[in-house]
Amino acid sequence: MGTKMLELSEAPAYFERYRKIIPRFEEFLEHLKRPLPLYFRLNELKCPQEEIVLKGLERQGAKVFPVPNLPRFFRVEPRDFPLGNTEEYYLGYIYPMTLSSALPVMALEPQPGEYILDMCAAPGSKTTQIAQAANDQAVIVANDRRLDRLTALVANLKRLGVASALTTLYRGEVFPFGVPFDKILVDAPCSGEGRYRQGYEGELLYQKEGHTNLPAIQKGLLVRAFDLVKVGGIVVYSTCTINPEENEMVVDYLLRKRQAQIISCQYPLPHHPGITEWEGRVFHPELIKAARFYPHETESVGFFVAKIKRLF
Amino acid sequence: MKKKRRKKIHKEAKWPRVISFEEREEVLSFWEERFGIPPETFENYLLLSTAKNYWLFVKPPELRPLQNLQVQTVGLLFTRRVSKWLKPTSTALQRFGHLATKNIVELGPLELDRLRREKRLEFEADLEEGYVIIKCEKKIWGCGLYAKGKLISYLP
Repeated sequence: MGTKMLELSEAPAYFERYRKIIPRFEEFLEHLKRPLPLYFRLNELKCPQEEIVLKGLERQGAKVFPVPNLPRFFRVEPRDFPLGNTEEYYLGYIYPMTLSSALPVMALEPQPGEYILDMCAAPGSKTTQIAQAANDQAVIVANDRRLDRLTALVANLKRLGVASALTTLYRGEVFPFGVPFDKILVDAPCSGEGRYRQGYEGELLYQKEGHTNLPAIQKGLLVRAFDLVKVGGIVVYSTCTINPEENEMVVDYLLRKRQAQIISCQYPLPHHPGITEWEGRVFHPELIKAARFYPHETESVGFFVAKIKRLF
Repeated sequence: MKKKRRKKIHKEAKWPRVISFEEREEVLSFWEERFGIPPETFENYLLLSTAKNYWLFVKPPELRPLQNLQVQTVGLLFTRRVSKWLKPTSTALQRFGHLATKNIVELGPLELDRLRREKRLEFEADLEEGYVIIKCEKKIWGCGLYAKGKLISYLP
């Protein structure tokens, strides 16, 4: 998979195919010219008083604002503030992450005592969010197929003081059976279109698909996750791309292969229903219960989230 | 000539062992006696062991299904055995040190900087010799050793 810089001038042509599904398309294109706001999640496992973090960052020149309706999330100004170089980061009090990236774990609703698999876990923003949500009392299997990425995940688990996770290095598609998982998160590798926006260098960054068949990989991961979760259990499938071929079409594949239903969720950010038709293909009507999030409406990365229940 | 014994690495046997009740008592008593952190703090966690390391891992409904997985890491590195002593890790102190009631060393920012840079400070305090919690402006930084009028840094 090669990386390619997408010039900002190329963006309108690239995204044109989504004109009908992205609300207020021109506004979306305009929004891509602005850099992403900076956010972090507070880690109360290590920092029992949020004042310590807020005052510490303010002393270093940052302005910190709580995000409405998203407890423990804060926006930081200026947006190029080096959060990664602060004491608060070093001590594991904060995890810099974009807002919409918190949505899949909200859909997952982790509870203490549950067995939870995070299938594509590295570098660990969602694994650590799961640990926090369950007060470090869920049993989390954090898996990633690449050792270099797993190293970053292990470092973040340590930094945030998580004691409820073990790490494994399997290809998700062949993750072994045997653990009665209550919930599984498949935050699948994707083309990352939701991240496209003007960087500080004035260009958009994206990963070119090249010869990698992402939808095939995503289908493999999702089907395996479904087969691993216990009957009545939950699989959350998410990506940070706009492309229906990596979103609805992948979930549609599962719904046709297995006995599953999509569960509607409440989210604290503006969203739209999943689409049920794309380029002449009609999808399973359940997909209307999935959720699409767009950068210009969330001030964040574009996301897709589907909460799926295993019926049999 | 006696053949030198070499420790073998078993790629398939990485799961740390669950320690005995007595060993658990020993480790948790150390935390209680040294820092005043009660053993109940860790009642929802297992203590696992690899060589000289103790790991804290959430108590699962059942451990056996997880033990079939080939794991890379399990839980949080909690305590190490250093010769005949037990030593808390900075990571574990950063997580649970706010519950401590004793053997806490409060440093000012300049002293902390110096300790991190020079690794040891001349230091006099009314403390028992041994491992201490290093704290600065309400933030717990981790583990130090107070002995013979010196404070030695074990901060990562």
